Amino acid sequence: MRKNQIKLVFTGNMGAGKTTAIASISEIPVINTDVLMSSGANTDKERTTVAMDYGELTLGSGEKLFLYGTPGQQRFDYMWQILIQGGLGLIILIDNSGSDPIGDLARYLDSFHDFIQETGAVIGITHTDNAPRPDLQMYYHYLQERGLQLPVFPIDARSRESVVMLIQALLAILEYG
Amino acid sequence: MLSKLATIQLEQRLSKLIEQCSAVDAAVVATLDGYTCAMKQRSQQYPLERLATMGSTLMSLGDTITAELRLGTCDNIISENKNGIVAFMHIDDNLVLITLTTQKNALGMLLSHSRRCAEELKKVIA
Repeated sequence: MRKNQIKLVFTGNMGAGKTTAIASISEIPVINTDVLMSSGANTDKERTTVAMDYGELTLGSGEKLFLYGTPGQQRFDYMWQILIQGGLGLIILIDNSGSDPIGDLARYLDSFHDFIQETGAVIGITHTDNAPRPDLQMYYHYLQERGLQLPVFPIDARSRESVVMLIQALLAILEYG
Repeated sequence: MLSKLATIQLEQRLSKLIEQCSAVDAAVVATLDGYTCAMKQRSQQYPLERLATMGSTLMSLGDTITAELRLGTCDNIISENKNGIVAFMHIDDNLVLITLTTQKNALGMLLSHSRRCAEELKKVIA
């Protein structure tokens, strides 16, 4: 990857808003591999990502971000390892309205453990408007138990400002540690 | 989800594929979001449910690439490997047929039998 080109990876559980977040900030039409959910899946969601999402964003500083989104379902975890190659940071989105949001976070922290250690990560909590708990304090408490210091933000994946803020936080971690 | 009858018919057609084409070692029908609908193999040596999930990923990537390049719908994806060939093809908009051979020189046979099978499977689920 050239200088001023940064690959970031969005991951998180199904329905957390990865595809939406990338679409809300990408300056190119997002390339996605969403397909209709079959009735074999136990969810109300209509579509799901089976390979990847891809978008691009140029920052005011001239740095170009390549934004990759992973499939959310664990069945597609082989794509997770493919997509993080060459990545410089991870954005984990967690749907707070799920049955076990902190358990979901634990799963992604485990799956991407080595990558997070080598690079950096931020956590965005979505759907907090209709599911306020667990609150941020509970997330921070859980991270502390694991010995992790990662920023956690409630975000709206449809909001460009919200997603850009998450990315800026990640870039600050990558730059200053 | 497919009816039990349709699933049985899919399995029967996959069995017929394996009987009629000696080159085919395994065949799977999967949904485009990666769930297995039916599968058959000569010996229980391949993780076909995993192959179904990966097949949906590949087929979707193929669809995305051909749409991006305005080349029409993606008919087949062929993976030619040191020890065999895997073919992925649409049955319809929602289902994928994945077939596998360990014979490196059997690409033509694999594709022709698989294509015919996919067309018949489409009629089964119509």
